[in-house]
Amino acid sequence: MIRTEEYGLVLKEEKLEGGRRVLDLFWGPQHPTSGHTRFIVELDGDVVINVTPDPGYVHRTMEKLGETRHWIQNIPLFERLSLPDAINVTWAYAMAIERLAKIDVSPRAQYLRVIMAELSRISTHLYDLGLHAIMIGSSTGFMWGFGLRELVVQLWAMVSGSRTTPSWVLPGGVRTAPPDAFYEQTKGFLDYLEKKIDEFVRLVIKNPVGYYRLKDVGYLSKEDAARLMATGPAARGSGIDWDARRVYKYGVYDELEWGVCVEDGGDSLARTMVRICEIRQSAKIIRQALDRVPRDGPLVGEAVLHRMPPKQKETANQIIRLGSLFTTRLPEGEGLGITEGGRGRYFFHVYGDGTERPYRVRISTPSWQNLRAMIKTFIGARLMDLPAIYGSFGYFPPEQDR
Amino acid sequence: MVMIDMSMDLWSLLLSARLWFFILMFAVSGVVLLTVVWFERKAAARVQMRVGPYHVSPQLGGYLQLLADAFKFIISEPIVPRGAHKILFVWGPAIFVTLAFGASLLLPLTPELRLIKDPSLLPYGLVFSLVILLLVSILIVIIGWSVNNKFAYIGAAREALLVAAYELPLILSFLAMVILYGTLNPIEIAQKQTFLVGAILNPLAFLVFIITTAMATARFPFEIADYEGDVATGPYSDYGGIFLVLSFAGGTYYATFSYSFLATLLFLGGWALPGYAPGPWPQDITGHLTLAIWVFLKTTALMFFFAFLRAAMPVLRLDHTLVLGWRGLLTLGFLAVVWSAALRFVGLAP
Amino acid sequence: MSAEKTTLGAAVKATIDALAVAARNFVKPERITIYYPYEKLEYGRMRGWIGLWTEKCTSCMLCARICPTNAIKMYPAPNGKRYPGIDYGRCIMCHFCIDVCPTDALYGTGIKELAWYDYKEMIYTPDMEREPPKIQEPYKSVKVAIKYVGGVPKKVRLQE
Repeated sequence: MIRTEEYGLVLKEEKLEGGRRVLDLFWGPQHPTSGHTRFIVELDGDVVINVTPDPGYVHRTMEKLGETRHWIQNIPLFERLSLPDAINVTWAYAMAIERLAKIDVSPRAQYLRVIMAELSRISTHLYDLGLHAIMIGSSTGFMWGFGLRELVVQLWAMVSGSRTTPSWVLPGGVRTAPPDAFYEQTKGFLDYLEKKIDEFVRLVIKNPVGYYRLKDVGYLSKEDAARLMATGPAARGSGIDWDARRVYKYGVYDELEWGVCVEDGGDSLARTMVRICEIRQSAKIIRQALDRVPRDGPLVGEAVLHRMPPKQKETANQIIRLGSLFTTRLPEGEGLGITEGGRGRYFFHVYGDGTERPYRVRISTPSWQNLRAMIKTFIGARLMDLPAIYGSFGYFPPEQDR
Repeated sequence: MVMIDMSMDLWSLLLSARLWFFILMFAVSGVVLLTVVWFERKAAARVQMRVGPYHVSPQLGGYLQLLADAFKFIISEPIVPRGAHKILFVWGPAIFVTLAFGASLLLPLTPELRLIKDPSLLPYGLVFSLVILLLVSILIVIIGWSVNNKFAYIGAAREALLVAAYELPLILSFLAMVILYGTLNPIEIAQKQTFLVGAILNPLAFLVFIITTAMATARFPFEIADYEGDVATGPYSDYGGIFLVLSFAGGTYYATFSYSFLATLLFLGGWALPGYAPGPWPQDITGHLTLAIWVFLKTTALMFFFAFLRAAMPVLRLDHTLVLGWRGLLTLGFLAVVWSAALRFVGLAP
Repeated sequence: MSAEKTTLGAAVKATIDALAVAARNFVKPERITIYYPYEKLEYGRMRGWIGLWTEKCTSCMLCARICPTNAIKMYPAPNGKRYPGIDYGRCIMCHFCIDVCPTDALYGTGIKELAWYDYKEMIYTPDMEREPPKIQEPYKSVKVAIKYVGGVPKKVRLQE
């Protein structure tokens, strides 16, 4: 007679009512839908009793690396926290350095940063929606999300020269100016994007199969979201009306007309609809910014422009040479940069100590902050709900582990 | 001493209807399977903004890619995990695909091309093919147990729950059609359907049959037991190479083929071509072959529908599926039986 | 399971709508696949392989100092100066070195199709940096671009 304990199937007996037993499942780093992080899931039948997260599989010691190098060498480093969202991450870092070293930003650079940051937000949302769709089972949603992202990535290549790692935001401004073909191509892309997002909603979300996967799944109440400090679509899906772009008024967001997307449901459906709505709002922002962006003008503010040699200043409307930035030292003090990325708000706190290396860089990423809220929603759900909740939070382990 | 006339026997052996049936089913079902998998990949690719298989044979639209993939699977090293139950692990996929395909061998392809020689045994063939198809899912539970892996165990438990949910509605829809036609003999069933095929006479039973077939053979939106998102393809999680192509790729598609073959007979008119009746077997080979091709075309069309669902649907959650089976499909199944009984009572049944 | 608006009729209509979306995309696919290497995408500027003109270099070593991955090492030359050589195993092609060079000695190309058989071949010395590497082209490739025609992206061939 074969005993199930021999095969190691049931690991512990908890004092649940009726003396039921609990199955430990290692939803580990090598798994199709857990990303690169491990959750130790304890199951009673089909219902999840407890989840213990085990993060750190992709820890790259970015905060420590930030202390050992020149502050300008950190820009390609911190960009790799979350590559779909590269502009928003480096903008937060650049904002911290600007506040620390008292560097101003030129108006043309503000508009360009807003355009590229909203494209970055669209790219992150498409990536998250695509992964969410494949976790629910719809491979069509996955391919559409990444197919549309291919068009965004080609736009990035047009502006900065690289498809996925732009390294484009500098403290003081941006590095290169977009060519003239960029403006028409972006408008064409936005028209196609809005059409395809409608089809995506009809195919994956309004489809009763997908709808019932998402409705009333992973409920996070408004009090819990505020207490556990959820951020991004996780908080806005539970009714908390907070957006760093509106509160901190960076860039030119206060001059453009746009709305913050808030839903009251608190379940996965609400979070996903917040993402869809944010894509549409981003398209609206980009259209307005494309009309208003100055086609000519310096790409960096006066503080950096003032230190550039005349030969390099001549081309400062097209490309910024880095010599003047490389010889800048960080004064003693601290600077704070907060931006709203696609998944939530990025927080960079840079301490300078008079040399060119930061004394300390503290990073807070949205996935790390949403971890507690996500664990709270996992408990009580069914096993098949775990991928749906995971995708709706937009959870990204490389960003969580830094 | 009895002299056996060998030349006469060889000729009648070659012209035997059972042999032709056997060869046709094996060869054509293999081709149908490859075509359905090709269609699934190509159709999903067209919907998904990409091109499916292309480079291996560009003129054929990448059809030979399927042969290359099958060949790769066959020559790949078969790995048996240390803790698995060795006999069931190795034999499970083979039995799976045998049962899944064997169910369709009990049904007639045309009035003369069939495996069962005695016409009075044909009703038993119809019922037995349904029984064997229901046994196929139990094999998935056995396979999931033999892999000895927590994820496979969960997948096998899910499959067991699903079998309980879809079995009754499937039998009810079958019963509804049998009440409608008033006979269990497949030849008479096909003869009674002219333009008004079974799907039009009793659409409720057709709908129930389609949905339960999708549940039984792990077609989207019901790919729950071997769900990649959660249980990492459940019972098939440790399979690779020849085992995978026999069970995950072969067995489930062969089961779909058998279900579609049964559905063609019951709902889509079988071999009935209005205004065409073939002659007796050895004289009119081309007539029977035409009817056989017609049956295969209908089966392939139904399988194309199942394959297209992959591109359109996500996957439904387990407890929603069970509720759908026990509440929705059971009610629809009963209504289908009532509808058939009403048609028969009124006298409109064929 | 049944809430305010989810009646059976609405669910059936939404299912048929989803199938209709999939069917419409099946009938008129909107593919943007590029059949590399028979077709190659045309990029205006692409940060690729970095080359060096040694006659312009003043050995200031700014490129080696700014490189985020320490890919540049200075190699001493017979005339006493040091010239940079790039290790392409470490280079992330951010072009910081080109942007910081005060004499425009480093130049950027758009070549990204680089592959080597051995790690040691990836380390380029200054004399290897003069000319861009010869890229093998086994197929005659056609340049394509994605243009928006009628609101839908289409792949168009660019005539040379």
